[in-house]
Amino acid sequence: MEIERVKEKILEGRPGFPRQYGPQRADHQPGIPLFPQEATRDLVTIFLLTAIMFFLSAFVTPFLGPARSPQLSELIVPDWYLLFSWGLLKVADIFPQFTLGGGTPLKAVFNAAFWGDLLSGIPIIALLVLPFLDRGRETRPAKAPIRSAVGVAGIASIFTSSLYSIREVVAQRWVTPNGAALIPDGTMKWFFIIPPVLVGLTTYIALRRLAYQPMRIWLLPYVAGLTLVVGAQVAWIFFTPGGLGAEAKPWIGPIGIALFIVFAPMVVTTFALMRWPESTARKVSTWAGALGLIGFLAFYFALPVVTKPAALGWVLSVLWPNMNTLVFLPIFGILTAWMGTRRPYSSYEYLLNECYQCGKCHTVCPVTKVEDDALGGLNLVYNTFKKQHDGVPLWTCLACDACSAVCPLDIQYSDYILEERAKVHAKMAADGGQKE
Amino acid sequence: MPYADLTRVVVETDQRQLPRSHAEKYELKTIWYWYPLYCLGGISFVAFIVLTITGILLGFFYVPDGRLEISASGDLTNPAWRSMLIIMNDIPFGFIIRGMHHWAAHIMIAAVFLHMCRVYFTGAYKKPRELNWLLGVVLLLLTLAFGYSGYLLPANNLSEGAANIGINMSRASPVIGDQLARLLFGDINTLSGVYILRFYWLHVFILPLVVIGLMVLHMGLVWLQGVAEPH
Repeated sequence: MEIERVKEKILEGRPGFPRQYGPQRADHQPGIPLFPQEATRDLVTIFLLTAIMFFLSAFVTPFLGPARSPQLSELIVPDWYLLFSWGLLKVADIFPQFTLGGGTPLKAVFNAAFWGDLLSGIPIIALLVLPFLDRGRETRPAKAPIRSAVGVAGIASIFTSSLYSIREVVAQRWVTPNGAALIPDGTMKWFFIIPPVLVGLTTYIALRRLAYQPMRIWLLPYVAGLTLVVGAQVAWIFFTPGGLGAEAKPWIGPIGIALFIVFAPMVVTTFALMRWPESTARKVSTWAGALGLIGFLAFYFALPVVTKPAALGWVLSVLWPNMNTLVFLPIFGILTAWMGTRRPYSSYEYLLNECYQCGKCHTVCPVTKVEDDALGGLNLVYNTFKKQHDGVPLWTCLACDACSAVCPLDIQYSDYILEERAKVHAKMAADGGQKE
Repeated sequence: MPYADLTRVVVETDQRQLPRSHAEKYELKTIWYWYPLYCLGGISFVAFIVLTITGILLGFFYVPDGRLEISASGDLTNPAWRSMLIIMNDIPFGFIIRGMHHWAAHIMIAAVFLHMCRVYFTGAYKKPRELNWLLGVVLLLLTLAFGYSGYLLPANNLSEGAANIGINMSRASPVIGDQLARLLFGDINTLSGVYILRFYWLHVFILPLVVIGLMVLHMGLVWLQGVAEPH
């Protein structure tokens, strides 16, 4: 008799057992009415934008300057959105320059401007072929770590190439105490490559961690490798005859302190990653980074007070020419260690939000075939998620995991239900363990 | 209260006056944090409309002639630059109109770039929207061309420098370099000033024609294919 009752319930489409699960569904989801709702929202944006433009044009009048003249004296830079291209044009002198077919009509000059044109064309070609290269179906940035990391690195490289385009300004404005350029051109050229690569790797590790991946296997070689590079650089500065310039030698004390402040947090972080559990490593890297930053700022502002002002200039004359190693690697090493060990920011809400309510979990759920509430279309996961039906869906789940097995998006529903139960227990314990 | 819930509370409070969002329409538990970035394409379109209106107004007064002249005081000048002075100093609200044109251009380029970033990071270029992505890349390049050609028009020192850079970059193309530079700039050095007329025509006729056509296609495809939601 009981078997008959269950069988009857399994057959879908009977009265009281609708085929539609979850919220009200229809083929066509009605959108937001154009008027007045959508129109109001759009007008708010349009008016705000126009107001910003009026404000800017009234208070920041565009510069006209003198009439054009063939005798240019000032430094000419294009508008900000073309700076990256200008930077690529300037860096192109690293490529070999030669002429092919000289003396013929097909003469081709491979000069810096040609290589600059070519370099500017590469990102455009990459953008054009992008949809044909990336054929996966994942759209969320956090779930597509490679794509997101490449994108963030690309944005970083736009910044670094834009900065390189004003290398003359950098060379003029930042100088050592004896008037030489603080950041040499070679360092500026490496600046093109190193920060974007670091940004890309850090983003990749952080995003994989966000998606619940244990990232220690990535972190160890990455952070330890960066530490080794910085260590080698520091050793080179101190232990090779030409490492520290003759003029900087008298300031070896302050320079040593500065390099210690830069290097020590990296060593501590690497050690913590190798020896201690993740949560401890995270705390250690947080503290190492914070103390390193505070220590460096304190040193930066205290040094001109306790010694002659020139001391800071000579310390910086060691740090900035090596900024790609001595400045960026410690920052990115510690930041990555922290991001790669931190707890993912959200719980199952993040994963459950992928659900597109296909209803397969409900179809296989054994509880809904025997529980009386099922007659109304009870869906354990959905109703638990919406905190509906007075907690019945939460506590009737058997944790058999049939729902997870059929889920097309591989969402671990029963884990979610167990976590919710644990939360209720924890809350009861916090309230003094009272029943009901 | 978890962070996600805090955000939701804010959004729900906010939307007592504003329309219901996608998150509410589909009863989503967690809102999509990127939604504010979904209006960047619209912002660039609004900026384009402002640019069209202010551009038409500026066109009444601007003289597209960059040929060098010597003023009574012996300074180098040119009709285009003098017409800019008139717009800035004599025409009522002229400096505001030019300011609007200038800032709307910057906002449009920034919005177009950020719009592309949003589309990239949310994977909105994927099947079936490949064609619209290609249209978008072309529109981005044309927007930069708009910016560059507009930057040349005041015929000031910056225009001269930018034109020189442009000529050098065009001439660097193998084989057709010099011809390309002559076609775009009218001359392979900036002395004659004819580049002002060339880029004026590109800026006010050719580019708007092409860009408006592509924009209609771009937005028409969004209309047909729908917004690429991440859910």
